[in-house]
Amino acid sequence: MAARAEPATPYRADWRRGRVASWLTTVDHKRIGILYVVTSLAFFAAGGIMALLMRAQLATGGEHFITKNAYNSLFTIHGTIMIFLFIVPFWAGLANFLVPLMIGARDMAFPRLNAASYWFFFFGGCGMLLSFFANGGAAKAGWYSYPPLSEKFFEPGSGQDIWILSLHLVAISSLLGAINFVCTIHNMRGPGMSWMRIPLFVWAIEVYSILLIAVLPVIGVALTFLLLDRQVGTHFFLPDQGGSAVLYQHLFWFFGHPEVYIIILPAMGVISEVIPVFSRKPIFGYKAIAFSTIAIGFYSMLVWAHHMFSVGLPNFLNVFFMLSSMVIAVPTGVKIFNWIATTWRGNLIFDTAMLWSLGFVGVFTIGGLSGIFLAAFPVDWQVTDTYFVVAHMHYVLFGGAVFGAFSALYYWWPKLFGRLLDEGLGKLHFWLVFIGFNLTFFPQHMLGLMGMPRRIYTYHEGGLFQAYNLLSSIGSGIMTLGLLVFVWNIVVTTRRGGRAGNDPWLADTLEWYAASPPPEHNFDRVPYVTSARPLRDLRRRLAETNA
Amino acid sequence: MRRRALVLVLVVGAALAVAAVASAGNAGFAPETPHSPNAGRINDTFKLIALLTGLILILVEGALIVFMVKYRRRNRPRTAEGPQIHGATRLELIWTALPVLIVAAIAAFVFYKLPGIRDVPEAKAQGGPLAVRVDAHQFYWQFTYPNGTTSINELHVPVSRVVKLDIRSQDVDHSWWIPQLHGKFDAIPGETNHTWFKGDRQGTYQGQCGEFCGAYHASMLARVVVGSQSQYSQFISSMQNPQTLGGQEWRGVCAQCHGPQGQGGYGPNIQSNPVLTSPDSLRKLLNKGQNQLPPTSSYMPPVGRGWSDAQFAALQTYIKAHVYKGTTNGG
Repeated sequence: MAARAEPATPYRADWRRGRVASWLTTVDHKRIGILYVVTSLAFFAAGGIMALLMRAQLATGGEHFITKNAYNSLFTIHGTIMIFLFIVPFWAGLANFLVPLMIGARDMAFPRLNAASYWFFFFGGCGMLLSFFANGGAAKAGWYSYPPLSEKFFEPGSGQDIWILSLHLVAISSLLGAINFVCTIHNMRGPGMSWMRIPLFVWAIEVYSILLIAVLPVIGVALTFLLLDRQVGTHFFLPDQGGSAVLYQHLFWFFGHPEVYIIILPAMGVISEVIPVFSRKPIFGYKAIAFSTIAIGFYSMLVWAHHMFSVGLPNFLNVFFMLSSMVIAVPTGVKIFNWIATTWRGNLIFDTAMLWSLGFVGVFTIGGLSGIFLAAFPVDWQVTDTYFVVAHMHYVLFGGAVFGAFSALYYWWPKLFGRLLDEGLGKLHFWLVFIGFNLTFFPQHMLGLMGMPRRIYTYHEGGLFQAYNLLSSIGSGIMTLGLLVFVWNIVVTTRRGGRAGNDPWLADTLEWYAASPPPEHNFDRVPYVTSARPLRDLRRRLAETNA
Repeated sequence: MRRRALVLVLVVGAALAVAAVASAGNAGFAPETPHSPNAGRINDTFKLIALLTGLILILVEGALIVFMVKYRRRNRPRTAEGPQIHGATRLELIWTALPVLIVAAIAAFVFYKLPGIRDVPEAKAQGGPLAVRVDAHQFYWQFTYPNGTTSINELHVPVSRVVKLDIRSQDVDHSWWIPQLHGKFDAIPGETNHTWFKGDRQGTYQGQCGEFCGAYHASMLARVVVGSQSQYSQFISSMQNPQTLGGQEWRGVCAQCHGPQGQGGYGPNIQSNPVLTSPDSLRKLLNKGQNQLPPTSSYMPPVGRGWSDAQFAALQTYIKAHVYKGTTNGG
């Protein structure tokens, strides 16, 4: 049926065009993207403050700074925020802004659904933060909230219920967003934009979205069962009434491990964009990186029980999950080698975005390699649930995903807001965080091997044990300074930052063809794309015409 | 060129330093010094992986740093492009295949060591392994020896004797872990997990709960005392005394929250609580626990779940003699 033709009426000023209201009612993918990015960065700050409080508590032993229950709430909500409310929505926001621009589309496939997914996220996140005021305080059973500890009897507070319901809202948000991305990428690519020409960041978002669609229903089931156990009196996870506590672990990690790749793949996509631009070379092995993204996505759904080696699974399962976890190291290695090969014989420009990307390669490699220890299940029996794991996951999630996020912010900030971030402050930001990060998390490997379990608010004082903990806390302070420099950078450049042209970095991809910031309709005319580097093609054509 | 040499020297130096410390097996660069054969085999596996991944680390970070130094912009214009190389299939195949071989080597080594880590030795000369049941509770460990004797938070075993552990939980998930003797094995309600060890030297080995289990997770410590056969027998017979067992129960189970004299702390003061003198209500409380809102501090774990009559009686005896101060009618 044809769309009803509206009579052309002059656009009337109404309340929706107000300075605030226009953001509240927007369905423009760029504005929604910015809302996502800003909101998720606010959650990053909240989660970061919680981490800082924990490190302050752990600087020395004893219950000297925060109580044990407050500590338990802090690490629970810190983990939940960083994973569900910061990094995953941050990628959703960045992709919201970039994917239509990168593939030459006018907007996302479903603009209203897009707005809905943002508001689900916003209200879910607010619920999570407000749960600190719940009867009995915020949830304190850890970010994976294993039952029976998270069951009503052991955790009677309503914080746990709010935790479940908030996560439901955030999961709905991610699911809607993921469906939108898949539909957009499949149907709305511009002229000539074939699958082997889309930017690698778009490949990453494609796999990110498919993984979300595949695994979010499973966490939805696990959380719903838990809620029913708590509120309705079912006993899915209560062993003394015929349920199974291990079932929850399977359901949770079937979601939880792909989630790790949902977090890291977009970061890999970012640095696959940044490294070639600042090396003045094409990416080394476009197809290898695209296919390794798909391979990682596929294998990520076959490795979940490596989080459960100490549960006492049958031997053949331990063996299977060890092998599958080791296999996933191969496509990851391919990516790392390809990035390094991209810099080979390049003209390396160390702008801040590039520093974050190279920093990513440096620290993510450490996180990837420490993962091999965890995959070999007898070794895992020693190091699982210790600070070795805390170190490992922060090397991949902070050193990986967050370094990638900062690379993306310095690289695309001019496209988002039209102004460049300050390079001097940016480099100070990078070095403070890089040094603070390693100081914080490297000694945690040693702490884990020396026998420090995770999630303890105190420990025996004295010797190296205390020295490493103190070092780690000092590192977190240095990192905080770095993040404050970033905030300062934003404040300073908002009014006085250098104006960015369409293409300040001499980049490769289509989003740099639009103005900075792009107009509501993105492109006046979408150029025909003949390779994976349309902007470079245009620059060369222009140079030839001028010559 | 000189700078490159400097970088190389720095990288190799750092690697050697790390390797030296790691081979010394302390300072947290390898797991704790093992005192049981299975823990030793786990350490061997750890060291092989550390060696292989260490080499990869040096190779990757080395290449990254060398390229960063060698191909930096210097005074070339920003627009100057490097050679437009889009890939090299053979090279990419090589660096796909090489990691496959490395992880295959690691997996093979794990398979080689696995039976010695996992399988309980038959120990026929000793009349089979010493079977001990480990019950994890919020927030203490209980050990039940073959003759039914129990002890709290400290497990006594004879040296050079194979000890087989059946690990269970009475409430939430916990994880049994003594780093010098073996890895972690979760205590999950409704499941029984197994591990074993053979203490090769007399001494006390510390460990603590490895799976987050609630407010006192950080205080859920365990000790394994490996002593001579006679020390072991002596300990077992001492635990038959209700005063000794009751004292252990009080200190390990009740005093954590209610204070050493029951004067209160995290939990309320119970010195003059009439429940202490009524065996039936005490038993009911310890079996069921309580959880009331608000405040959540009125939560009490079902600490006595699975206890024998003797254990309840021992606690009762101890409390009567050392804790209970009578009702205060001073109003």
